[in-house]
Amino acid sequence: MSEEKDQLDSIKESFESEFDRFSGLLKDGFKGMKLTAAEKLSKELSDFRVKHTGKKSPISGAMKLIGKVAPEKRADFGKSVQGIRSKIEGRIDEAESSLNRYIESSKTESERIDVTLPGRRHQKGHLHPMTILRQKIEDIFVSMGYAIEDDREIETDYYNFDALNIPKDHPARDSKDTFYTTDGLALRSQTSTVQIRAMERRGAPIRIIAPGRVYRRDTPDQTHTPMFHQIEGLCVDKDITMAHLKGTVSEWLRRMYGRETKTRFRPSYFPFTEPSAEFDFSCFKCSGTGEFEGDKCGTCRGSGWIELGGCGMVHPNVLEGCGIDHKVYSGFAFGFGLERMCALMYNLDDIRLMFENDVRFLRQFY
Amino acid sequence: MLISYKWLNELVSTGLDAEELSEKLTLIGLEIDGIHAKDDDTIFDIEVTSNRGDCLSHLGVARELSAALAKPINIPEIPSDSPSETSRVVIEDPKDCYRFTARIIEGVKVGPSPDWLVRKLDAVGERSINNIADITNYVMHELGQPMHAFDLDKLKEQRIVVRKARKGESIKTLDEEDRKLDVSVLAICDAESPVAVAGVMGGLDSGVTEETKNVLLEVACFDRDSIRSTSSRLNLSTEASYRFERGVDIEGVVRASNRAASLIAELTNGTLTEFSDVYPKRHKPVSISAPDLAAEFERLSGIALSIEKIDGSLEGLGIHKDSDGAYRIPSWRHDMSIPEDLVEEAARMHGYEKIGEELPRASSAGEYHSLEPRKRRLREVLASNGFDEAMSYSFVDAQKAGAFAKVKAMGAENEREVRIKDPIIEGADLMRPSLVSGLIDAVQTNFNHKALDLSLFEIGKAFATDDAGAPPLERELLGFVITGREAHANTALRGREMDFFDLKGAIETAGDSLGTPALVFRAAEIEHLQKGQSAEILLNGQPVGSAGKLSAEIANTYKFKQPVYIAELDLTAILETDETAATYSPLDVFPSITRDISLVVSDEVSLDQILRTVSGGGFKNLDSVSYVDTYSGKGMESGERSITIRIEYRSGARTLTDDEVDMAHEDVRNTLKSKLNAALR
Ligand SMILES: [Zn+2]
Repeated sequence: MSEEKDQLDSIKESFESEFDRFSGLLKDGFKGMKLTAAEKLSKELSDFRVKHTGKKSPISGAMKLIGKVAPEKRADFGKSVQGIRSKIEGRIDEAESSLNRYIESSKTESERIDVTLPGRRHQKGHLHPMTILRQKIEDIFVSMGYAIEDDREIETDYYNFDALNIPKDHPARDSKDTFYTTDGLALRSQTSTVQIRAMERRGAPIRIIAPGRVYRRDTPDQTHTPMFHQIEGLCVDKDITMAHLKGTVSEWLRRMYGRETKTRFRPSYFPFTEPSAEFDFSCFKCSGTGEFEGDKCGTCRGSGWIELGGCGMVHPNVLEGCGIDHKVYSGFAFGFGLERMCALMYNLDDIRLMFENDVRFLRQFY
Repeated sequence: MLISYKWLNELVSTGLDAEELSEKLTLIGLEIDGIHAKDDDTIFDIEVTSNRGDCLSHLGVARELSAALAKPINIPEIPSDSPSETSRVVIEDPKDCYRFTARIIEGVKVGPSPDWLVRKLDAVGERSINNIADITNYVMHELGQPMHAFDLDKLKEQRIVVRKARKGESIKTLDEEDRKLDVSVLAICDAESPVAVAGVMGGLDSGVTEETKNVLLEVACFDRDSIRSTSSRLNLSTEASYRFERGVDIEGVVRASNRAASLIAELTNGTLTEFSDVYPKRHKPVSISAPDLAAEFERLSGIALSIEKIDGSLEGLGIHKDSDGAYRIPSWRHDMSIPEDLVEEAARMHGYEKIGEELPRASSAGEYHSLEPRKRRLREVLASNGFDEAMSYSFVDAQKAGAFAKVKAMGAENEREVRIKDPIIEGADLMRPSLVSGLIDAVQTNFNHKALDLSLFEIGKAFATDDAGAPPLERELLGFVITGREAHANTALRGREMDFFDLKGAIETAGDSLGTPALVFRAAEIEHLQKGQSAEILLNGQPVGSAGKLSAEIANTYKFKQPVYIAELDLTAILETDETAATYSPLDVFPSITRDISLVVSDEVSLDQILRTVSGGGFKNLDSVSYVDTYSGKGMESGERSITIRIEYRSGARTLTDDEVDMAHEDVRNTLKSKLNAALR
């Protein structure tokens, strides 16, 4: 009997001595072990398991002896063998799961990335600042019940001047101010031409916004280009007054620049409106104070006001010319230059940049 | 126009400081362009609108303030000598000269002006010359009436003839320029020759000098257009011409003459003698009938104001209601003819700031331009695909633009370009027939700044006209240009070099965003594109554009050192095509079997041909065919390439067997072999 016991002791002992190399590492949590070494160790551990728990292992040999032991001792012996076996397996399991955990975490560690590296994508493109501004203005007016209109850029004198009540001797008609084609047609000098065509087509009542290119014989400089964009607004209906003009322009500018924006209307002169006015709005940079960060505000040159455009009540001659009875209907119109507004918005010092297509410029807007 | 704060307050005591006055002027329509201090005075630079010639003087501005502030105007004491018509002055051209007065002042002593006069002129930016010239300037700034003093003894026969210049006549003007006059120029002449350019500038030889003893003072009124055209013809704009062009007060001529003559006599110890006035056609005052001006006022301004108040503010401006109820417009106003003008005046005096703010009551729903939603989608899609939006002038250089083919859909065969008369930018003499030359200029601009990787698009109008004399066609085009390498966000590393297929991909993306049926590319020769790398683009079988590599010839003229790919499409034509609508087909029930074929074909055989041969061959159970890849180079003969395609077989009724697919596939292979002379690998 002691013979069997000795045998079990020796199984235990040889396991312990051979497991020693694992238990040491286990105790340290495999500290500092390379992933490859750990994977090698894992392989060794699995060989070790076969050696100590496989069919040919000493403990399996001891299992086979159970039947041969005297019946009265068989139960005790069996219990001992089972005990040793589960102990061995438990130790190996523990080592294995610990090692696997170590391997998993080493792998995770090796896949660590710098999440601040850039995302993978195409460089994005940019819309032209004039497009961005035009769309914004169109959105506002569409929500206020206006239809967006567009029409010819090359016009007859009738649409460019006569229909707009511009007198025959007005300097604007001079080829010093207006471009003409060799066929004698005018490049429209204001988008008001669209008003005329729209009124002819749609009659009254009408509410339209007409953005578009216009042409004037200005030599290019920082604030002038011979081609630029205007936006024209027109509202003709029964009982339209200057109060509606002021209300509409002011509401639009408040939606552009914030609810606190104030507007100012000054008497002025345009052949196609009577009464006529120019409109200013309170400077968005200095909130109309004329001072910015202790200095004279550069955007409004210290006045607190930014001049934007012209407006007025549509001249009776213009309405009548479009077949609208000016005794029944009245209306207002307004217009302004988009480049100027764009330059103010982005603090541009030279509007010629708008048409040079320099990507260093284009890529600043979105 | 410069206005002195102090001088103005002599004419109307405003009771306002300079800043308040500036604000007030602005609000009644006299825009302040600038303000500066001068000694103990403040000078306003006022921008007067072109219809308000009557405001181009201290009196004119004072009149406005007097009405707006309801303060009396203090006009200086002016003698009221009456002139009469004499033979000294003859107007030969009454169409251009409405009135001419000549005052003779004898025994003058020309000398420096007194201090008060020098200072007043200095305030409004005028240099003192001598006491006579200074008074003429002074009265112009005071009353708005330009005038000119001649040395009477230098005028041949001491008389004046107002007439058009004769052929070959010329004059040396006060600025010492010799000026040739043509027959359209109105001249003030003596018995023989021109002594002044009417309304613009006097002559040097007939001018007042220190030796002058006797003076003829001209105060006249000319036709506005005549003066404008002379000034523009001679390229000479003066304080006088500026005022005459905008209109002076014809009924104020005599008073202005009396004012100047009496001051001259006083300062020079001269004696006033003969006073001639030739006034062929008397001014007829404008009268506006407005039976219910209060209603009209409310209708336009939205403000209910009593007729007494309205009439009161008009009175202040010199507009009086006649006994018959019509409003009589003063002779200095040239800008009033209809009741709306009266409304404007009353509203201006009442103050635009007192008009309320209201939104018109809602009527119809707003709407974008019918094509705008699709264009917006197009712009957004292109921008998110890395394209920057370009915007170029509508003018181009005809010489440069001539090198580029136009989009074919632009119109009839006999269409021609729209040319501009007298362009302002050198070389910008043509309304662009295409966007291409603008985009190429954009490439050049960017290359100059060492920006080599570019993807640009532009949406804009192009112009053409046909011989029928109808107004030009204006069509919206869509242009693309790409060059260099792919640009990736956040890295300085440049990507793959872009080629034709990047351009084609962008065009296809554009087509998708517009919802068009597929755009078809067909090899074609295009004037400005490299042969063999150029295509015509078709929509529903109609040509709508072109795409390809910029020809070496053009690239060389621009000194481009890298390939540039350019495309242009007729956006108007594309947008006139209906959007395709999605349709649902039932999901496949039975699995498909796919087979690849690699075939070696001559370069002349296009992928399109191969795909059409397969898809149009009526093969059994053929579901779809798609492109896999192309190979040429190592192992291939020159002039041929290998193309791999993938064919999917499927039945809607059952699962196919390998055997039936093999049979069909063999048919496909044989057809490709025989029809396209393809070798199968
Ligand atoms: Zn400001």
